[in-house]
Amino acid sequence: MTRFLSLPASIPARELAELVRRPRALAVKMLFPLAVAVPLLHSSAPGFYAAMAVTMLLATMAPLGAGAVLSRERSAGLLLRYRLLPAPPGRVGMERVLAGAGVDLLQVVPVLALVMVGRPGAAAWWPALWLGAAATLVAGNLLGALASTVTRSPGEVMLVVLLPVLPALYLAGVFTPFTDPVMGTVTRLLPFTYLHQALLGALGGATTMAPGPAAVGAGLYLSAVLLLARPVGRRLLEAS
Amino acid sequence: MTEPRGSDPAASGRPPWLPEPAPGRAAEAVPLWAEGIVRWHRGGGGVLGLDLSVGQGELVSVLGPNGSGKTTLLRVLGTVDPAQAGSVAWFGRRDRRDPAVRRALGVLLDGTAHFETLTGYQNAWFFARRFGLDPSRARERLNRLFTWSGLGEAVHRPVEEYSLGMRRRLALVEAVCHGPRLLVLDEPTLGLDWGGSVDLVEMLRRLARAGVGVVLSTNDVHLAERVGGRVVLLDRGRAIRQGTVAELLREVAGLQRLELELRAPVPLERLATQPGVEVAGVAGTTVRLLLAGDANPVQVLRGLDGHGHLLAGLRVERPHLGDAFLRLTGRTLEAGTTS
Repeated sequence: MTRFLSLPASIPARELAELVRRPRALAVKMLFPLAVAVPLLHSSAPGFYAAMAVTMLLATMAPLGAGAVLSRERSAGLLLRYRLLPAPPGRVGMERVLAGAGVDLLQVVPVLALVMVGRPGAAAWWPALWLGAAATLVAGNLLGALASTVTRSPGEVMLVVLLPVLPALYLAGVFTPFTDPVMGTVTRLLPFTYLHQALLGALGGATTMAPGPAAVGAGLYLSAVLLLARPVGRRLLEAS
Repeated sequence: MTEPRGSDPAASGRPPWLPEPAPGRAAEAVPLWAEGIVRWHRGGGGVLGLDLSVGQGELVSVLGPNGSGKTTLLRVLGTVDPAQAGSVAWFGRRDRRDPAVRRALGVLLDGTAHFETLTGYQNAWFFARRFGLDPSRARERLNRLFTWSGLGEAVHRPVEEYSLGMRRRLALVEAVCHGPRLLVLDEPTLGLDWGGSVDLVEMLRRLARAGVGVVLSTNDVHLAERVGGRVVLLDRGRAIRQGTVAELLREVAGLQRLELELRAPVPLERLATQPGVEVAGVAGTTVRLLLAGDANPVQVLRGLDGHGHLLAGLRVERPHLGDAFLRLTGRTLEAGTTS
């Protein structure tokens, strides 16, 4: 592991090596999700609100973080250097985006662990919880990557990524559950739904889905965003 | 960055940046063949219908003023950007994204970025490994290259502590570490001190002798003359003249070059029409005149016409490649494309 980080030969290793060389930034990165989640999970906040807050945390931190970092990498010329690597640009770009998602997942591991420890009896929701979190983070990184190709600064990226994320959170029933069958169908097609349902289930809130279908939906959603990672990665590197 | 510093006595004696010899290499396709390249920017500027080839072991310098299209051209030749028209082939392959093409190239662009928090060695290791070197070869080559480059003492310092010159040296190490067979270098001496520039020229010559094709861009006429090989004069996106350094210098060989340093700009017309003045160009407060071999430079000064008190200095020198450009365009290399 030491060698893996001291002599990085891949983009994920390079990401981690840069993280560990900045201990203060690493500490902030790891503490930030906990600072949001711990008060919620260890207070008497209803499960609905805790699930909403944690879903929003994951849904916004990934695109905002990825968009800002990739925008900086673009203006610094690092994405151009990736473009010149002797590998298909889609693969290199995908590696870069998934590395970001991997780091984000490490960042939220303590939060998800707290959710699990808080209610061990809700173990049926855990597969959906992890799959939903992974899908949300990968999707967020893809969105951030795309946003970085159409903006000129990290600040602009933040505005652009929030435009689709906030309506998607609403339509996914994160703020208020939908009982209408049409809206229920729309909800199932949207990102964040499965993570939100899994969090509700794991935190003892009222769900509109059973754990099994939620896990299957999250898994399908994760597969779909992983399939999109290559074309988005190519766009990330090839955009001038 | 002198070679003796980098020569590892325990190693084979080959300079560290030389590519590995490989059987059959002599028969392979020409390293670079570009025909009718067009890449034009919306705001103006770029390359318009340019033909260029770089053979094995050939050194080609693209010389032109700022804004003449050098960087645009090098980005196309370095596989960064596609040509909008025309075609480019690297070792006979036309797909710029082909990993085999990119593995054969060493590209140095003017704004080379690094991973700032990682050390110089970690940066170079990343690129060496990604370009296909196995760990033992990467270690061996990088150790020698870092010594050769003069970065040996800074090898384990984070790049964010490097100066511009050190970053450029690191970028050179990264560009040559995998043994490319074609080097594409945009302003390679940018940020290098004189010694570094001398060592770079020596390295390029030795690479060329080993069969590596080199194409570089510069607006430094002295660099192009020291590198030797073929020179392409670029102006407003077009190659206005190609030839060896000797051929281009022969075109201005019989002339005298008179450079006037002035305290303020003066009208050029009277100077340009003095007897013996063949071409006149201006860049800021510097006036450059090409005079016939038998012209008297002192007489030409009459053309200052009442502005003689503004004269701060003058030099009479042998013409250089910049004067070939001046003769062809009526503009100095330093003036850029807008004057």
